[in-house]
This record gives sequence, structure tokens and C-alpha cells, in this order.
Amino acid sequence: MSDGELAIPFRQRAGSALKDAFLQEALTIATTKFIDLRREAFEDFPEGEALRDRARAIKEATLQRLDHYLETLIANIERLGGHVHYAKTSEEARAIVVDIARRTGARMAVKSKSMATEEIHLNEALEHAGITPVETDLGEYIIQLAHERPSHIIAPAIHKTKGQVADLFGREFKRRVEADPEVLTKIARDELREKFLQADLGITGANFAVADTGTVVLVTNEGNGRMVTSLPRVHVALMGVEKVVPSLTDLMVFLAILAKSATGQKLSVYTTLVRGPRRAEELEGPDEFHLVLLDNGRIAQLGGPLREALSCLRCGACLNVCPVYQQIGGHAYGYTYPGPIGILLTAMLEGTRSVRDLAHASSLCGACADACPVRIDIPRMLIALRREVDEKKIAPWVERVAFTLLARLLTRPALYRLAVSAGRVLQRPFVREGTISRLPFFLNDWTRTRDLPAVAARTFQERWAAEQGRTP
Amino acid sequence: MTTKGEFLASIRAQMRTARDLFSASVAKRPEHPAAEADTIRRELAERWPAILERFRVEFERVGGVFYRVTSLDEVPAVVGRLAREREARGLVAWHAAALGADLAPALEARGLDVHEMPAGETAAAAERERLRAITAGADFGLTGVDLAVAETGTLILVSGAGRPRSTSLLPPCHIAVFDRTALVESLRQVGVLLEAWHRDGAPPATGAVINFITGPSRTADIELTLTRGVHGPKEVHAIFVEQGIRG
Repeated sequence: MSDGELAIPFRQRAGSALKDAFLQEALTIATTKFIDLRREAFEDFPEGEALRDRARAIKEATLQRLDHYLETLIANIERLGGHVHYAKTSEEARAIVVDIARRTGARMAVKSKSMATEEIHLNEALEHAGITPVETDLGEYIIQLAHERPSHIIAPAIHKTKGQVADLFGREFKRRVEADPEVLTKIARDELREKFLQADLGITGANFAVADTGTVVLVTNEGNGRMVTSLPRVHVALMGVEKVVPSLTDLMVFLAILAKSATGQKLSVYTTLVRGPRRAEELEGPDEFHLVLLDNGRIAQLGGPLREALSCLRCGACLNVCPVYQQIGGHAYGYTYPGPIGILLTAMLEGTRSVRDLAHASSLCGACADACPVRIDIPRMLIALRREVDEKKIAPWVERVAFTLLARLLTRPALYRLAVSAGRVLQRPFVREGTISRLPFFLNDWTRTRDLPAVAARTFQERWAAEQGRTP
Repeated sequence: MTTKGEFLASIRAQMRTARDLFSASVAKRPEHPAAEADTIRRELAERWPAILERFRVEFERVGGVFYRVTSLDEVPAVVGRLAREREARGLVAWHAAALGADLAPALEARGLDVHEMPAGETAAAAERERLRAITAGADFGLTGVDLAVAETGTLILVSGAGRPRSTSLLPPCHIAVFDRTALVESLRQVGVLLEAWHRDGAPPATGAVINFITGPSRTADIELTLTRGVHGPKEVHAIFVEQGIRG
């Protein structure tokens, strides 16, 4: 995310998203459709619920012996003739990939969709080194031409209309382009086919890596993942350490639920299991295969409060069901990963300070936890994050003072009763029909978006005391 | 740069402070995958018609076109018809040994321009480049199938000698020929078979890539409008040979 965009406060970013009529319509259509497709997929799949539990248990069991599974993965990849690299930070990860690109002599790199490369801002680093990165997932290609960032984990360009895409292609290829998805897709196919055949370097993420076999797994619908791993001379896969799974048997459990959660498909069109560089007897495949293992804040969470978020499959299901995401879309969050899980991942990668506002961008309704294929308890961690934001004195001082006072009040009955009596008098000028919908000064921060119930004429405590007095 | 030792040490340091969220175990792998794979195959040998029917339904649901022919001799006619309808004739094919049959003469007799991929001797870079250009320009890619998964309508193809991955990727129309030996029912069974291949270490386990193909290439990235053939084939045809490919 560019610094310029983050200079705008979250509230303002969200505000502009709410005023964007097209975005509002696009978000409603997209999230509703994804929710329906996911529901239908699991309705047809009675074993789905049990498999979700299995998948979560596998993730947790893998984290419990993460060093062992990573060592196995590394040994198997090296045995196959691949190279493994280790990146503590995003700077280090960028330097590793740029270095490989330089040694390859690559002037262009084709990429299949990868959130990890977005996370480390790889494209900027490649461009800086004189290497042109080409995004090949259609959605990613569109937003790359528009110089934007993905607004959804699996549908990165849902915020764009076909008209906008046609204009974009028209400018890029200097001709009139019809605003028809079929035509636009054909143009992208022709453009990108050339690039696939020319590029020396292919860069991917990884949905999974199987320790036991040294296999990197890519899931795509378009086939770009296959192109990128088959045609260029060198293949680099960048992967967060938490993506390792122990065996092929484990992998099948995840494959059975991943696409259903993401797009409602039983499987995505292409699931590609890649094992090292080209074999001597094969015609295609890279001469060199590199795997970059990325930490970037993940390892610290093995024993940290966000450990559960390390089980995330990046399916996007929690985005679609989130009432906040449905309203503001992905860009308003301001970081690589949007939506409920995105807030946790942002805290993990960028530190708690970065989610000082975002920690509150949730109604805590729990829809995300229900939709999550591996049942990550996102609301629990959001509450913990809010507490941390408060304790570390990152929250605005007015908020901190207000909540500290409230906590004192609520834990001291005498003080509470006094405050109730005082409130009953002080609220008088602001009560309309039993609610307070406007408070003066900074207190309006609370009532601007919600009503406050007025203190009752007789509180429950007072009525209870009276009842007790009457009964023998 | 961080070394492997430093990297793993940082993980171990964190693991020492970490509390397990709950007691959990990984999926139970088959103890004797080869024996289990045999059991699966034996069981499928009796129920194959029902499983084939389920494959057809799922394969068509994801946009594939299914054919059922009695013998291998009928395959060239199906391909020939596709070629006539599309007014196209360039076809790249897996090597006869990988396909299980030599269909080239019969296909050529029907006017197709057939390029058979080499059997797998080490090819020089220039030769590989040439074959790639031919594949990229071809109208059809003809392949075999290692597994056909009924639950999802998926074709699983392993790369290897004489069976390049690009045959099912670069041409706009992919035609796959299979028989009941490839049929499996579920993803769970695929897991057992993959484990068996891996344990066995013989082809097809030696291939660099295993591709699961579930219908034609698709995208919905522009206004969620489903569009086919964005990078991979726009069409996928699967021809089932009742009497078996290898006779």
C-alpha cells in the first residue's frame, strides 16, 4: 500500500467507499453470489463439516511440529534439485527474488496470483531492479494496468466495471475495445500468451507445500499457474512458513474444502502439484526451481495471540460474509489482506499499531468464524486486539480515558448507582423518545453512528430492590 | 541473509514458548498404500458403470464434453469430427507409448496434421523450443489420463517422458482418452493412489508435475461473468473407451 493512501484515516477511506455507488453495487452482487455458491457447495457435501474439523486439526498439528515439517520439506526439495531460501522480513524476501532474477538475466517475470508477493511488495522491487513483472491472473492483470491493489483475496478486480476494463485495455493497446467480458478476456489471453512464452522467470505463491514429497501446490482457475511453472527457465515460489502440510493425504483434505469455500466449485479448474525442476526426460519445466520460505511476522505468532490465524487458507469466505467488508470493500482496509482475517494478518505482519482503527472495523457478529473452512475464531482475536490496542496506549486518549472510567464505574456498585442518578438528570436535554441520538462535543463520536439508550426512569436495580422489599 | 539454521532456530525458539491450542493429529496416512490402492481398484472394477456415470455428470457440470465409445478404433472419428466442425487440423499428441496406442495414422487419414511428442530421450534446448512452438500453434492437444475422478469430474495427468504438460495446456482444445483403469470415485481415493505412487517411486511418480484438470480454463474476474479459455484450453473433451485402450 502506498504511503499516500495510508495517510488518509480509515474512517475517511471507509466513508469514500460508502459513497461510491458502483462499488456498493459491485460488492453486493459479488458477496451475495459468493455466499450462495459456497452454501450450495456445502449443502451437496455432507462430509464437509467433518472435513473442516479434520483440516483445522491438521493445521494445528502441523504448527505443533512446524520445524520438523519444514525440515522435511526443505530436504525433499533439495533432493529433487531445488533450492530453498529463508526470508525473515519482506526486505529479505524481495532481495532474494531480485537476486535470482538478476542471475537469471531476466528482463521480464510472469507471475501467477500470489498474496504473499503482494504482501512483500515484490513488483515495486522488481521494477526498481529493471525487471518487468507481469501479473497473469486476469483480475491481477487488470489492477496492475490500473496501478491499483487487489480488493478481494480471490477476486482482485471486483471493484471494476467491464466499461472501466475496456477503457483500461483501450489506453494500454491504443485501440477501441468493446466492453464485453468475452472480448476483454480474449485480448488478455493473446497479450499474456506472448509473455508466457517469452519470460525467463516465473513467480508464484503456493497454496500448500507437501513436506513428505517436496511438492508445491498451486490452485488456479485460469491455467496461469500451469503456464508460469512450465514455460519460463526459472521458477520461484514464495510461501509463508505456515503453508506446509505433512503429506499428500493431508493435502486431499484441504483440496476438498478450499474451492468450495472460495468459489463454490468442487475443485478449482487446475490444481498443480509441482516437484522440483524439469526432469531430464521431460520437455518442459524450469531448469531451476527455488522456494522462498517467508517469516515476516508469522513465526513470532507461533507462541503469540494470533496463532490461530496461521491456519488461514486465504479462501476469502470470511470477506464475503462480513457486514463491514460488504459495505466498504477491500481497499478501505488499506493493507494487502482485507476483511476480518485481513485485520488479524495485518496485525501479524505490520504490528498492532497498524490496526488501531481496523481492530474496530468489525461488528463481532461471528459470521466470519462460521464461514471459515478451518473455523478460525476471528472475533475472539479481534477482541484481544482491541484490548491490546487499548493497553499499549495506541488507542486515542479520549477513548482510553472513557473506557477506563467506565470500567471503574461498572465494578463499583455505589459509584454506579451514583452515576445512574446523575445520568438521569444530565441526560434530560438529549433524550428523544427514550433514546439519545446526539451528544455534544467529542461525545458525539459515539452517537454519530448509533443511538444510546437513555437511563430508565426506574432502573432494574431499583425495581429489584423494591420487589425484594415486598416479598416476605 | 538468513541461513537455514537461523531460520529453523527462530521457529524452535518460538515453539518452546508456544502453547498448543488443542491436541491434534495429522491425517492418518495409509500404512500400505499399494495394498489399499489394489483394494480400491478391485472394488471399482465391479462398480465402474455407476462411477463412470457420476464422472460424466460432474465432468459435464464443469463444462467438459463426454463421449463413450466401444473400442479405440472409434476415437479417430470423434477427433476427426471435432476437427471438421472447427475447421482446424493441427494436433499435438502424447507419444504413442504414453497414450497406450498409436492413433497417428488413423488421425492423419482423417486429414489431421499430427505431431507426436518424442518418447522421452533427452532433447536439446533448441529442439524443445521447436516442439513448444508447434504445441503453442496447435488446435488440439491429445493426451491420456492417469486418473479420472468421479466426485469432481477431474482428469489427473502426470507429466513425464512422452507426456509433456503443455499438450493439455497450450492448444485451445484438449482431448483426453481414458478407460476404466483410470476411474476412481473420490478425492480420498486419489489421496491413497498418490501415496502409493509416491511410495513406489516408479513412473508416474517420477514426473515433475501432477495436474488436476477440472473442466476448461475459466475466469470470472470481470463483473463475475463466467468466461472460458482465458489461459488454458477453452474446451475439454473426454473420450471413454469401453474395451480399454491397451486392448
